[in-house]
Amino acid sequence: MLVSFRWLARHVDLEGITPEQLGNDLTLSTCEVEGIEPFAPHLSNVTVGHVLERVPHPDADKLGVCQVDVGSGEPLQIVCGAPNVGAGQRVAVATIGTVLPGDFKIKKSKIRGVESHGMICSVRELDLGDEHDGIWVLPEPDGEPLALGQSIANALGMGDWVIEIDNKSLTHRPDLWGHRGLAREVAAIYERPLKPIDLTLPDLGGAPAFPVSVADAACSRYIGLGIDGVQNGKSPSWMRQLLLAVGQRPIDLFVDLSNFVMLDLGQPNHAFDRTALDGGGIAVRKAKAGETITTLDGELRKLETSDLLITSGDAPVALAGIMGGEESKIQGGTSKLLLECAAFDAATVRRTSSRLALRTDSSARFEKSLDPTLPEKAAAHFARLLKEIQPGVSFPMILSDEGRWSDPATTIHVRGDVVRRDLGVDLSDEAIADILRRLELTPTAKDGGFEVAIPSARATKDLTMERDLVEEVGRIHRYGSVPEAPLVGAVMPPPFDRRRAMVRAIEDRLAGAARFHQLLSYSFQSDDLLSKVNADSGDFVTARNPVAPELSKIRREVLPSVLGALETARRRRSEVLVFEVGKGYRPEEASEDGMPREVHQVVIAIARSKAAKGDAGFNGGAFFTLRAVVDDVVRAAGVAVPCWSPGGEAHATLHPVKQVIGEWTADGQSAGVIGELDPAVRGRLGLVGELDSDVAVAVLDLDAMLAAPAAPRTYTPLPKFPSVKVDVACVAPAELPASALTKAIEDAGKGSVADIELFDVFKGESLGAGKKSLAYHVVLQSANKTLTDSDAAKFLGRLERTLEAVGAALRR
Amino acid sequence: MTDTDATLSDALGRISTAPDVDTLRSIEREFVGKDGVVASMLAAIPTLPPADRKGAGQSANQLKQAVLTALAEREVALGNAALDAERKGDGFDASLPPPRLERGTLHPVVQVTRELEDLFTSMGYMVLDGPEVELDEYNFEKLNIPADHPARDTQDTFYCNAPGSKATLLLRTHTSPVQVRAMEHLQPPFRAVVPGKVFRQETTDASHEHTFHQMEGIVIDRNVSVGHLIGAMKTLLRGIFKKDIEVRLRPGYFPFVEPGFELDARCPFCEKGCSVCKQSTWIELLPCGLVHPNVLKAGGLDPEEWGGFAFGLGLSRLVMLRYGIDDVRHLLGGDLRFLEQF
Ligand SMILES: [Zn+2]
Repeated sequence: MLVSFRWLARHVDLEGITPEQLGNDLTLSTCEVEGIEPFAPHLSNVTVGHVLERVPHPDADKLGVCQVDVGSGEPLQIVCGAPNVGAGQRVAVATIGTVLPGDFKIKKSKIRGVESHGMICSVRELDLGDEHDGIWVLPEPDGEPLALGQSIANALGMGDWVIEIDNKSLTHRPDLWGHRGLAREVAAIYERPLKPIDLTLPDLGGAPAFPVSVADAACSRYIGLGIDGVQNGKSPSWMRQLLLAVGQRPIDLFVDLSNFVMLDLGQPNHAFDRTALDGGGIAVRKAKAGETITTLDGELRKLETSDLLITSGDAPVALAGIMGGEESKIQGGTSKLLLECAAFDAATVRRTSSRLALRTDSSARFEKSLDPTLPEKAAAHFARLLKEIQPGVSFPMILSDEGRWSDPATTIHVRGDVVRRDLGVDLSDEAIADILRRLELTPTAKDGGFEVAIPSARATKDLTMERDLVEEVGRIHRYGSVPEAPLVGAVMPPPFDRRRAMVRAIEDRLAGAARFHQLLSYSFQSDDLLSKVNADSGDFVTARNPVAPELSKIRREVLPSVLGALETARRRRSEVLVFEVGKGYRPEEASEDGMPREVHQVVIAIARSKAAKGDAGFNGGAFFTLRAVVDDVVRAAGVAVPCWSPGGEAHATLHPVKQVIGEWTADGQSAGVIGELDPAVRGRLGLVGELDSDVAVAVLDLDAMLAAPAAPRTYTPLPKFPSVKVDVACVAPAELPASALTKAIEDAGKGSVADIELFDVFKGESLGAGKKSLAYHVVLQSANKTLTDSDAAKFLGRLERTLEAVGAALRR
Repeated sequence: MTDTDATLSDALGRISTAPDVDTLRSIEREFVGKDGVVASMLAAIPTLPPADRKGAGQSANQLKQAVLTALAEREVALGNAALDAERKGDGFDASLPPPRLERGTLHPVVQVTRELEDLFTSMGYMVLDGPEVELDEYNFEKLNIPADHPARDTQDTFYCNAPGSKATLLLRTHTSPVQVRAMEHLQPPFRAVVPGKVFRQETTDASHEHTFHQMEGIVIDRNVSVGHLIGAMKTLLRGIFKKDIEVRLRPGYFPFVEPGFELDARCPFCEKGCSVCKQSTWIELLPCGLVHPNVLKAGGLDPEEWGGFAFGLGLSRLVMLRYGIDDVRHLLGGDLRFLEQF
């Protein structure tokens, strides 16, 4: 909202207060001032000039050559095309070097061969209105021609400052949406009196009131004031200037006066041509299904039955509290008006205006819950201002005042002790009472505190409880005067948070020793990405109003987000190591109150250029690297390493065979899955051809890890006896999983196998078709004796049998 | 010149010119080895006349000692020469670039979050978590923002549909819903912070994002005042900026606190105005306030007995301030060229 410094000064004496100071004090006590700018600074550089003569341009019929005295001795020769310029006028002259709005710099020029040393300006060229059919012939406010050479700003008293206030900081203050209300704050801050203003209705005639019927509670009050003998035209220049300062372009008297009253008191109002209204009167009602209205902006609006309408002869003439109808626009020469000042329900106005995306100065005010006593005051203000401008107007009719409203003025009990406790300031009861009085809140001592009378302007929404008055005292006393106090209390270390400790351990391990980069991604996943990675099935939570139509889905799992990042990153580097710890949402497992289940996941991914890495050996590829990383990370999280077994199509994004599922116990919750990408997914992500990549991903379930058996680090005594190392090669059918061989070796060791390390995998004709050979270093270790060659021989003997049992053989 | 003298002079000559330790070893074997010159001199002694025997023994031993001494000296000299040669560091270029050490990184938002969590836990705050997909009830209703409240406009909410759910779901617009969730689950007094993702339906540009990170703070206790709030906020800023920061508290409107404040910090980056503070020397940093009595009631607490304060820290904003990041979209953009810088 824009506020004019000069406008405020109509209501409170600002002598000795600079605009900056005012802005700062408002910010510290009332609302956020976002900026203070001089009003129309160019007016300080445009000079009052006197047209000495005008002769026709020798080579152009429509141009005139003027001699203009700007009080600097030699008159300036200015070529001017305006039809209304003539000798004797006082005009606004932009001399050479002056910059006008639109960054228009006046330069010395030659027009059809005649030199021109400046410009005589129109109202529009000075950004003071829309008139541009001629130059601006300056008024004579004091009945005297203006002195030459001074700036327009000076000559016409147009110097002003525009204060911009953040509307958000006024959300709770319906009383501050007009200059009068803001002036009340200023008066309280500087302890100055508010200038009196007469808001009583002028004498009204006795003709019957204009018929108004209010059929809906969403209109709690409707005032109609009949005005006769009025003539539309230009509004007075003081009013035009104030309106311009707050960014309202002057239109005509009716519109300007209506706007002025709204911006002065905060009460929106609407003037109808009374002769255009149906004789049956005004009816306020909800819209009927299918009804429409064309609003003043020319838009046809489809209405719903929750929208409140002002109607005449049952035809809509205004969208209540938002905008008038096109047809009720005053056309030309009416002399009879009906001024509407009403109180409309905030929620009703808000719903309609947000549904229609039609935000107006009026709706912004109504949706804050305006004071229902204000309409009558605003009507009086309008009437009195109009009477001043056009003394001949009359108010022939009894005031229409319909609707069921009650004065919200109330009282709130406030205790001095509570104010002192909540603010942490030692203020006396008297000091508290004094601040309240400055704000026009009237305290009366009662029950060890005060009964504070709250006027209607503050009582609609803002001040409803004791704490609200604590704020009033605090902000006028200034929070800067509140002494800083240490928070006192038994400080206990917060309870151990295992989830957070676990997440940190995982993050540290991945970003540290394992060298992965941590991602944080959006919770939205695009339809395109989801379909690329085979993750578009299943139920999704969706945003009703997404930033883009294809970005409505809230992720079920973190994996697609990571793959999305992988796709781009891999284009830039031959190896990408990334992870994300994040959440996904599963609507099919909603809680009783309808909240989707939240899953916490750790997703780790490796993508390596196949070309750059060459043959990775039997277990050097991304999949096996990731398996090692995952086991390490799980261990770092203090959890037992799960048993990974081939899962087979557990996850559609992954290769159907090249994946494993982890479990801690046979019937346990799945720890997660590790696998290579399905080849089609890899292809759709573009990780083929030149970017051909070895890609493996792991998805770990944090909740499962929290529930898993803990495996804190423990100490194992160092062996007392030397160990024996035996190398064994096992020949097995190609399809036999290596885990079967590992188990056979363990079984053969009868508890003495301390370590098994696979060091070679071989497939060749020498073994026979469908066979493979796996070679292991096996370390045998006993806790109570030195093992000998004969122990090793016995082990090999047993191994022959355990291998045979799984269909394999020891290769001697 | 005796035979022995000649032998000695031959040995010393060869030792002094021996190029390496291997040559020294072979000279050693030749003269003082098991079958060497000295050994054969000693072996010949019994064949000498008795009167010459003593002298022959002595000269053999002298020869042996002289050779061994010369060998040892030459070996030291050769060693020193080798060290000297190595110390010349032939052709070594210390200015060659080192190989790249690949390293991993924690996300900058995570790094700053952890720092703040550690600061707060050291002051007795718990770290809580809350759902990103929230109920309207917790995001608004229980925070004193009923339906049709004009404050809802400023929140630019993503409302959600979920198959089979009748609840009014949304993506939380702030971390504040956890205030009420905490009151419902914890026994007062308590102190807690809640880091997390929040969402606003708005057009994105370098300084606006629809998804960003916040940290909510809440303290519930008896007799908590604005003075305590100021003290806690100053401590927090000292922790963040590692120096005392001047602050100012001014009215700010948030329906779930009363009174509500905007806390501005004196710009830590300038003295007379800069682009970060938009030339004002103040940066708007922390919305905060005393918990509204209606919110305490919504959380099941009696506002006559319990009070408290709450604050909201823009984590994304803080990360941007700290590192001078000029585009908020980098934070969740997943670009490794950005992430690897932290
Ligand atoms: Zn600065």
